[in-house]
Amino acid sequence: MEPLSWTGAWGVWLNPLLGLAVAGLVAASLLSVALSLLSAPVRRQSLPDGTLAARDGLHGMADMAGRAFLWLTALVLALYLLLPFALPYGALGIVGELSRRLLPVWIALGATFGLSIVFKRRLGLYGKLFDSTIGMAGFALVVFWVFTAIFAGLFDMIATHDPLTALSGMKNKVPGTPLAMGDDGVYPHYLLGGDNLARDVFSRMVHGSWIVVQIAPLATIFAFLVGITLGLPAGFYAGRLDTVLSFLANLILAFPVILLFYLLVTPEMVQTGVPAYMAMVLFLFPIAFFAVLLNARLSPRPVLRLVVLAALFILGGWLYLSMVSQDGTPVDFWPDALDLFDVPGGILVVFVSVVFVNAPTVFRIVRGLTMDIKTRDYVAAAQTRGESPWYIMLWEILPNARGPLIVDFCLRIGYTTILLGTLGFFGLGLPPDSPDWGSTINLGRRLLSIYPHAAMVPALALLSLVLGLNLLADGLREESLKD
Amino acid sequence: MTDTATDPALEVAPGEPILEIRNLSISFFTRTREIPAVMDFSATVRAGEALGLVGESGCGKSTVALGVMQDLGVNGRITGGSIKFRGEELTTMSPARLREIRGRDIAMIYQEPMASLNPALKVDRQLMEVPMIHEGISADEARARALEVVRDVRLPDPERILDAYPHQLSGGQQQRIVIAMALMSKPALLILDEPTTALDVTVEAAVIDLVRELGEKYGTSMLFISHNLGLVLETCDRIAVMYSGEAVERGRIGEVFDEMRHPYTQALFRAIPLPGADKATRPLIAIPGNFPLPDERPPGCNFGPRCDYFQKGRCDAQSIPMIEVPGDAHEARCIRTDEIDWDAPPDISDHRESPEIGEVVLKVDGLQKYYEVSRPGLLGGGEAQVVKANETLSFEAHESETLAIVGESGCGKSTLAKVLMGLETATAGGVELDGRAVGDVPIEKRDTRTVADVQMVFQNPFDTLNPSMTVGRQIIRALEIFGVGAGPRDRKKRMLELLDLVKLPREFATRMPRQLSGGQKQRVGIARAFAGGARIVVADEPVSALDVSVQAAVTDLLMEIQREQKTTLLFISHDLSIVRYLADRVMVMYLGHVVEIGAARDVFAPPYHPYTEALLSAVPVADTHVEKKHIVLEGDVPSAMNPPSGCPFQTRCRWKSRVPGDLCEREVPPMVSFAPGHQVKCHLSPEEFASMEPVITLAEN
Ligand code: SF4
Ligand code: SF4
Repeated sequence: MEPLSWTGAWGVWLNPLLGLAVAGLVAASLLSVALSLLSAPVRRQSLPDGTLAARDGLHGMADMAGRAFLWLTALVLALYLLLPFALPYGALGIVGELSRRLLPVWIALGATFGLSIVFKRRLGLYGKLFDSTIGMAGFALVVFWVFTAIFAGLFDMIATHDPLTALSGMKNKVPGTPLAMGDDGVYPHYLLGGDNLARDVFSRMVHGSWIVVQIAPLATIFAFLVGITLGLPAGFYAGRLDTVLSFLANLILAFPVILLFYLLVTPEMVQTGVPAYMAMVLFLFPIAFFAVLLNARLSPRPVLRLVVLAALFILGGWLYLSMVSQDGTPVDFWPDALDLFDVPGGILVVFVSVVFVNAPTVFRIVRGLTMDIKTRDYVAAAQTRGESPWYIMLWEILPNARGPLIVDFCLRIGYTTILLGTLGFFGLGLPPDSPDWGSTINLGRRLLSIYPHAAMVPALALLSLVLGLNLLADGLREESLKD
Repeated sequence: MTDTATDPALEVAPGEPILEIRNLSISFFTRTREIPAVMDFSATVRAGEALGLVGESGCGKSTVALGVMQDLGVNGRITGGSIKFRGEELTTMSPARLREIRGRDIAMIYQEPMASLNPALKVDRQLMEVPMIHEGISADEARARALEVVRDVRLPDPERILDAYPHQLSGGQQQRIVIAMALMSKPALLILDEPTTALDVTVEAAVIDLVRELGEKYGTSMLFISHNLGLVLETCDRIAVMYSGEAVERGRIGEVFDEMRHPYTQALFRAIPLPGADKATRPLIAIPGNFPLPDERPPGCNFGPRCDYFQKGRCDAQSIPMIEVPGDAHEARCIRTDEIDWDAPPDISDHRESPEIGEVVLKVDGLQKYYEVSRPGLLGGGEAQVVKANETLSFEAHESETLAIVGESGCGKSTLAKVLMGLETATAGGVELDGRAVGDVPIEKRDTRTVADVQMVFQNPFDTLNPSMTVGRQIIRALEIFGVGAGPRDRKKRMLELLDLVKLPREFATRMPRQLSGGQKQRVGIARAFAGGARIVVADEPVSALDVSVQAAVTDLLMEIQREQKTTLLFISHDLSIVRYLADRVMVMYLGHVVEIGAARDVFAPPYHPYTEALLSAVPVADTHVEKKHIVLEGDVPSAMNPPSGCPFQTRCRWKSRVPGDLCEREVPPMVSFAPGHQVKCHLSPEEFASMEPVITLAEN
């Protein structure tokens, strides 16, 4: 097999086209900026016949050229993605083959966007996201990684090779290198090259996304549950409770994050069981949260309440015990027969640290929102109905604080993803051969100056996901403000 | 035009137009479409004249003002017509010239005084800035002028005020400073956008008085924007009534009030409580339907779907132009002005029986509520201060009775409501509900029956419903909590019946509150309050935040349900017009005291408590036949943290001098009884009381 170049034979004329389009776009924007600096903006004028004169002259032309080049760029990019399906293997090089591998993601992405845009008026805040370009871009990036993770992690579709097996002769090979021993039925190229253990970088990156997409949101959810459960009463009752909780939150926030991680994740600490004990406490919060939530809602209907709460405690308790009881740590009391799953020690620790670091900030946001919302008339109305304080907090206040919380949630998944990366980078948390992005970057950095691709690929992946989450948060904020 | 057009700095002779708006259209542009906010609007303000712009919220009246200021934001644009200020076209003016005019010749006063004040600058600096920038006069001169203007707006102790920061002043004082600021540059045109909506009635009356007087003194022309017809009557010479983006009627104020020639104007006047309206014999007539959204305007006449005189094929055939009607430049946007019999009395089909007043339901005896607030000292050792929110209140309320509680902010009416609801407990004294003592039982300790018995309707329709729960769910929750209904199915049925009761379509059960208009939300709030068969409903200004045309309907509904369910309604309000219309008995509160209580007809007729008298005079009445005695109260309501000694009202009372000695300052007056049940808390002698004249007289006409 021939090595693949980045864009193959067809790239010869697609690349200049793209270059042209981008250059034109940049020139037009620069011109437009320069013009607006030189001359005062012309106000739109109404004409006697009721029509409006848009900006004319150079301004108008710069605007129009800019728009045309933008469309051209988008068109060429679309060609890169779509052409490979009409061409033979390798005709559009590595880019073309990557696009081909990602086919299921494109289909899922297209379907999601198509359906969402068609029904956007009926989808509330989520639907409104599709009115904002920034929000759509962010959503696309995030969903791209979510679908990649799902297809790779659950259906084993996108990756070309096993993320953990090394193939001989592929050590540190550049992107597009053909396999040294071309077996039948094996994908013939390392699309994005091989790492220093001769594993396929592309497959590792794709499989790594599954780990990131699972852990980051889950850990963030836990952090939110803890922050909300403590922030609501602090804001609602204020007074001494608030003083104490806020002080604790500030104490934790004042602690250097990385140091905290080091402390929590070092094997000596794990041996003493501190993280495990912390896990015991932290994982109680979700159960407490849902118990109070349902109890408050169902209190006027005692029978239903009994059933629901019993179910919650049995199921939740079981999950909880399976979660906190770990073989090989001081907290190992739960019989293995009943232990549903053993969370790998590293991940549990990662969870604890993420929750520990994020919960205080969430606490402060929730506390502030609660203080604001509790002065509303509908809260007073609930009080005059004789509702319990927890009902008011969870059903009257919390749902109306959701806007800022959702935005913060997106941002916080981003931080958590970076945190995971940081942890992996220091070799903490997840096992060393795990394909998650942080660990991969860490492995690749040693040869960064000679073979940058092994570290660059996961680094770019991480960058794009976090960027997507930030854009999504921005879009959501913008659209929720319009309400 | 004369040469005033070429030299705008020249003074304009009285009667010359200062502001001429011709066929103005303003639209707001969203990404997808254009939303017309003002269409074909024409008006002229002459020198020394005040033009009132009235209409409900969303009718475009504020947009007109912003259009004159050329301050429409990024999305708003003038799409047609012209605005001439002293003959100069504003729509095509250069930004530099516009800035010059805006600061010096046109000044604007907004509803929120703090929006126009810089919180970080002392008052004198803010005032001096204006002429220093626009006229380049020296600081000393500017300071002297500031002092003069502050005196002009009748602020006490001008030197001290000039040296204060805005947040150290009360709302009324802030608004006066804003007016002073506007006057500093001696503008030719003053635009006032709901300048008193955020103020208390007696303060509002004083500010309005001031505005009118200054207009005369400085010869300033005014564009006065308000939703309150009474205020406009008191301040303006001409009026333009707006509806859904268009001026529908225009003319001299007296003509429009007495010989209105547009069905909307007529409907508006029938919907507001004027003296003489009465819930039994002359009820208010609500305008049916809802205000059309800007993108759902009907073809032809905008008012068509709600108009009693609508004729298919004519009213909806073409857009309706302004048509001249007899009078002084009197115009109306209606093609049937000649055909309608304007003097026909409104047809009141349902005569309602006044309900029988029943047993005593609520008995409040010597109720006292003090709060302790500790002023935060530096080391936490701040001395505790006592706010005396309620002072020995005693009154009774009967079944099926409407007891109005009247007073301005800080009078203690909200605290009273909280104690009744159980959100606060009384410091002393007792509250009895159907013979059960509830005054010192907080809501958590009250049994379900008691909680369901005392319910509340809140003031702000946009805040009264939980925005993230469907309407049906919220009512069902109330039913669940009050233990009404046998099961989920039964409660759902009850919920739908409650929606019927408040005259909302049953489909609303699945709607979210944001899909409802203000009036509809308030109806849901009423349904929720009555869910548990309440014996007492405390309605805290339930209609004051609603538009005029909706107020009547909601008020009506409240009284209808009350009649059917024999509820006791405690109607908290500062609006004496509506109180006069619907209350059986009235209780006037001032600084935590009940200063007067009695049957409505006794309270609204002399002898009055001096405060009631001032309150009656302060409320603007939209009726040209009414003659009001002019009583303006000085100053603001004192703080409840530091109430005056003796009579609570003594700092502002105009009758105080008639009481011998310093009795008013030394002793809290006793309750004096007049007619049965009519009591007044005042030291005045019976002879003085007898000498009081009625504040409001209806001229026979
Ligand atoms: S034009 Fe017709 S619908 Fe419009 S106000 Fe006149 S009578 Fe009513
Ligand atoms: S007691 Fe004196 S100060 Fe008080 S209201 Fe009567 S006359 Fe005025």
